[in-house]
Amino acid sequence: MKKTLCEKYRANCFIDIKGQDLAIDKIKNFIKNFPAKKALIMHGPPGSGKTSIAYALASELNAEILELNASDFRNKEHLERSIKPASEQESLFKKAKLILIDEVDGIAGNEDRGGMQELLTLIDNTSHPMIITANDIWDRKFSSLIKKCELIEIKELNYVTVVKMLHDICLKEKKEVNSNVLSAIAVKARGDIRAALNDLQTVLEQKELSAEMFAERDKENSIFNALRNVFKSTFNESTLGMYDSVNLNLDEIMLWLEENIPLEYKGEELFKAYEALSLADVFRGRIHRQQHWRFLAYQNILLSAGISAAKKQAKTGFTSYKKPTRILKIWLANQKNAKKKSIAAKLAPKLHIGKKQAFKDLYVLRAVKDKDELGKELRLENEEIDYLKNF
Amino acid sequence: MVNEIWTEKFRPKKFEEMIGQDEIVKRVKSLVLSLNIPHLMFSGPAGTGKSSLALVIVKEMYGDLWKDNYLELNASDERGIDVVRQKVKDFARTKSLGEVPFKVIFLDEADALTREAQQALRRTMENFTNTCRFILSCNYSSKIIDPIQSRCAMFRFKLLEKKDMEKIIKRIAETEKLEISEDGFQALYEASEGDCRKAINLIQSTAAVSQIINKDIVNVVTSHTKPGDIKLTLEYALSGDFQSARQKLLEIMLEQGLSGNDIIKSIQKEVWNLQIEPELKVKLTERTGEIEFRMVEGSDEFIQLEALLASFVLAGQGK
Repeated sequence: MKKTLCEKYRANCFIDIKGQDLAIDKIKNFIKNFPAKKALIMHGPPGSGKTSIAYALASELNAEILELNASDFRNKEHLERSIKPASEQESLFKKAKLILIDEVDGIAGNEDRGGMQELLTLIDNTSHPMIITANDIWDRKFSSLIKKCELIEIKELNYVTVVKMLHDICLKEKKEVNSNVLSAIAVKARGDIRAALNDLQTVLEQKELSAEMFAERDKENSIFNALRNVFKSTFNESTLGMYDSVNLNLDEIMLWLEENIPLEYKGEELFKAYEALSLADVFRGRIHRQQHWRFLAYQNILLSAGISAAKKQAKTGFTSYKKPTRILKIWLANQKNAKKKSIAAKLAPKLHIGKKQAFKDLYVLRAVKDKDELGKELRLENEEIDYLKNF
Repeated sequence: MVNEIWTEKFRPKKFEEMIGQDEIVKRVKSLVLSLNIPHLMFSGPAGTGKSSLALVIVKEMYGDLWKDNYLELNASDERGIDVVRQKVKDFARTKSLGEVPFKVIFLDEADALTREAQQALRRTMENFTNTCRFILSCNYSSKIIDPIQSRCAMFRFKLLEKKDMEKIIKRIAETEKLEISEDGFQALYEASEGDCRKAINLIQSTAAVSQIINKDIVNVVTSHTKPGDIKLTLEYALSGDFQSARQKLLEIMLEQGLSGNDIIKSIQKEVWNLQIEPELKVKLTERTGEIEFRMVEGSDEFIQLEALLASFVLAGQGK
């Protein structure tokens, strides 16, 4: 049977891996230091080469690889039966072993009952390095896993690297493909080498080649593209669905819009755009309060078409959009106000008021002369008393 | 020592010491004398005597044992009804001390509870009626669900009248040997806006500066205590510099720990101090009201205030 290009050209050693030098260096260190950390998580977008890197590592170490992936049924018993004995024994013929847990995102609540817990135990007991791959590790269910593991981010491949790889493969296949077609494939793959190879394969099997033959994958859109569309162009067919493909929830998108509206809009446009944002926010509040999710439609339309239509004409030029900073600033201010807050919390019950009111009224403590005595009665820490003395 | 904070030092301990709210005090007093009170609800603005009256009730009813029979909870501090329920249960489980057969729970700022939490509270109130009476306080009784309102005797507190405030200020001045001039009194009254706690805090802060209190000293002290720089924020916006206005706004909210409500209240007042046509002031006030409405409905404070600042930018263009 014919192998797919993906399988045929899966990297066999580190030299074959392109564009991930930094990650590979970190992995080598992990192996060198094993068992300082027993497991390693490679995380990154699909098709960035996580599994390939694991296999390349195995062949570099001349190690046997023991693999579990998302298609396995990973409940507790299964893990115990298949992996546990291997992970705790030395290999036959003293050959090194690597345990690969592929696509750990797939461990779900129900079907893999106990799977995550068992995985954690496995990590503790293993005598072989474990390699775990995941697309997105910032999910809460992974928080305890992350603590046990070395984290290595695998970045998506850049466009130039992808074109270069496609080109090399064409040479090896002894096929000639127009470089425009290769560029088009690389652009559409957006860093996903697996997607690029699949596209290349369909191209190679056709007699006549053209760049329009394959449809663009419906892939995650970056928030930057969405902002560009909404702010720069006038209303168009993709405006309404603009945020559907962005990998952020609407609340986060609102923070991005809030931060970036003033970078694009001035005067009347600014007013209209914030009015749309404000109304969208009103609907957000109504959704939360009444749990009437139909309102989401209005929130979405106001955020896309509403903000897009604030301008009369399309805008040109490049704007470098900023990450939302409000949450960070709130956090910093909270740190700064922490002492004042903790004093207010201790003062509040004595004055029969709420903590918020106590925070506001705290200035009146300036009028109290003996701060030490006051501090004793409120059971303040020494730092809190010092804070009061200088405040 | 907490007595060094005058809001506590001058808090009334008996019905006779309560100043203002005469009608309410009279009615509550007769209930207390019978040693049997229903659940009570005190609604009204801040600093009008709700907590003070609750404290007077328990002190008069239980005498020296009041601390054993009284639990004070602040709904805006106790996150989640479960905390409230647990504390209520723990407190109500034991019998009251003394001759009164029930204990009293004062739930302050009850309007901070969500509707769901209020539903749960209603059950709790019913379950413990025999051993516990509730006194709820709130700013707006409209935010309290009907079933709870119907279980309580309702008392509506009004802002303190000028003559009452005068009595209170005079009493403090006598005890603390302060000399308060006529314009000083006027300035204190205006700055307090009928809020007794605010007035007393203000007097104490002012007295720390000088024993002789006149208008000028009061004004210096108030300028330190009210949300600063709101006017500056609005002026930035009017001049078209939205980014600076936005930054200033966030700064004020975070550094002074002010809520959106505090901010919008002072925006509403500051509009009238801006150098713009009266017609525009009215327009901006209407807009401010609309934004406050959206905030009260439960929207994000900062987004709403930004939208308001954007209106000021627009108004500044047409100026």
